[in-house]
Amino acid sequence: MDQRWFRWTTVFVLGVLLLRAGPVWAQAGTALGSQTLGRGYWHVFAAYAVVWILVLGWVISIVRRLRRVEERLGNE
Amino acid sequence: MSEKQIRLAIGVLGALGVAIVIVLHWMVFFWVPTEATMGIVQRIFYIHVPAWWIAFLGFGIVALCSAAYLWLGDERLDRAAVAGAEAGMIFTTIGLLTGPLWGRVAWGTWWEWEPRLTLALILWFIYLGYFIVRRTAVNPEQGKRFAAVVGVIGVLDIPLIHVSVTWLRSLHPEAVILNPDGLAMDLDASMGATISVGLLAFSLVFASLFLARYTVAGYEHELNLRDAAPGGIQRAEA
Amino acid sequence: MRTYIGLVWAIARKDLLVEFRTLERLIAMGAFVVLIGILFNFSIDTTVVRPQDIAAGLIWMTIIFGGMLGMGRTFSLEEQDGALTGILQSPIPLDALYLGKVLGNFVLLSVMVALVFLVFGMFFGLTFAGSLVSLVGVVASGVLGFVALTTLFSAMATRSSMGEGLLPVLIFPLLVPVIVYGTTATNRLFAGRPFAEVDGNLRMLAAFAIGSTVVCAWLFRFVIEE
Repeated sequence: MDQRWFRWTTVFVLGVLLLRAGPVWAQAGTALGSQTLGRGYWHVFAAYAVVWILVLGWVISIVRRLRRVEERLGNE
Repeated sequence: MSEKQIRLAIGVLGALGVAIVIVLHWMVFFWVPTEATMGIVQRIFYIHVPAWWIAFLGFGIVALCSAAYLWLGDERLDRAAVAGAEAGMIFTTIGLLTGPLWGRVAWGTWWEWEPRLTLALILWFIYLGYFIVRRTAVNPEQGKRFAAVVGVIGVLDIPLIHVSVTWLRSLHPEAVILNPDGLAMDLDASMGATISVGLLAFSLVFASLFLARYTVAGYEHELNLRDAAPGGIQRAEA
Repeated sequence: MRTYIGLVWAIARKDLLVEFRTLERLIAMGAFVVLIGILFNFSIDTTVVRPQDIAAGLIWMTIIFGGMLGMGRTFSLEEQDGALTGILQSPIPLDALYLGKVLGNFVLLSVMVALVFLVFGMFFGLTFAGSLVSLVGVVASGVLGFVALTTLFSAMATRSSMGEGLLPVLIFPLLVPVIVYGTTATNRLFAGRPFAEVDGNLRMLAAFAIGSTVVCAWLFRFVIEE
């Protein structure tokens, strides 16, 4: 259960990342040239990945705590 | 609020938050124009600034609830403080990781001893101390009070730390660096809108998760009261 | 008021008597200070940097580390003998207990700091006789701020499974102002600058010391109560 959920989240995140890459790349070519804009793509993606991973990590930790509480309730 | 209402609030806030997060991603990656001087990396701001807003909000909650907890001894205040501290830790980490990713391109260095960065790093360690005293206290009830004491001292010390590192920085002026506030000058209307959406999205997600964490802490507390023998608990995954 | 001061003094006197009889903490701190001075001496390449230029930073780091060595055990004696329960049951106000502990620690640390300046002065050829009074003011207020925080957190550490290992994590982030103002002031005084240049530092250090003593005295009851 946990694993499948994780897998789908990963697929979703990767999908969003791939979808984004196109248009951002296109803007870089047209605007001020790639001298300044060509740098740092992976920085942007890494930054957004960091947010996703950490917030999801917090969500997972809360869900696990909840499960543990429910487990303990079930034992009684 | 009844339990049902809180669960509803968590769900509604969470759903709204996720929806606006999706809107934010669309705005950041498809809609907002690329900033002229910094280029693509400037898009990190749309999550970096909201992350700091939540980090400091979390720290504010920790400070207020810790002081009130010491004063009144109400368990709910301690739960709110923990939920705030966890949010603060998560979003301070986000801020500390996304900042250098931007700085590497904009400043040319991963790290700069700029007052705001320094303060952020120290804030992270104060949060760390908060969790460590809580976890390692021999008596868990004492641990709550220890953590609250760390929260109160932390918030009182933060202004002094900020003043001192700013003063130290002014001793050896270096090349002018771009700071996030400097951006405000050429902040396009669409960029302002994106930042606002980012702040809203992060706030909603924070509100939902904060409530969830607070509620779970309440359940844990009730269970701990019921069975004082912690030896019998099996982890769900084990 | 007089009885309150009397109580504070009684606590400090008891701690100091025990300490000067056993010399446990003083020997630990004294040996640390001299040995770290020797190691620092070997760790400086004098063809690259002049020892005098970095002495102030080294001195403050030594005070912090050496101080933590002694301060971490502020409550260990009471905790071992169960004497804390006795003190807590006596009618002494908890802030008086805290202030007594701070006073005792401050005296102990002052002895150590004197040794630090003696040893480092000799090893690194420092001259500070001309600005001795300002130096004493700067160091005393910095050390008081340090002692105020450390005494409170050492009470926490004795009741934590991490023990004294907890202290650096808790204290180092909070000590940033002491290090910033203390080190710059000491550096300037070593360089022979006038008092006017360290006046602001001294005020900030004094404010930090008084503020942290007052706040920690109030918070102490939440740490020490069962």
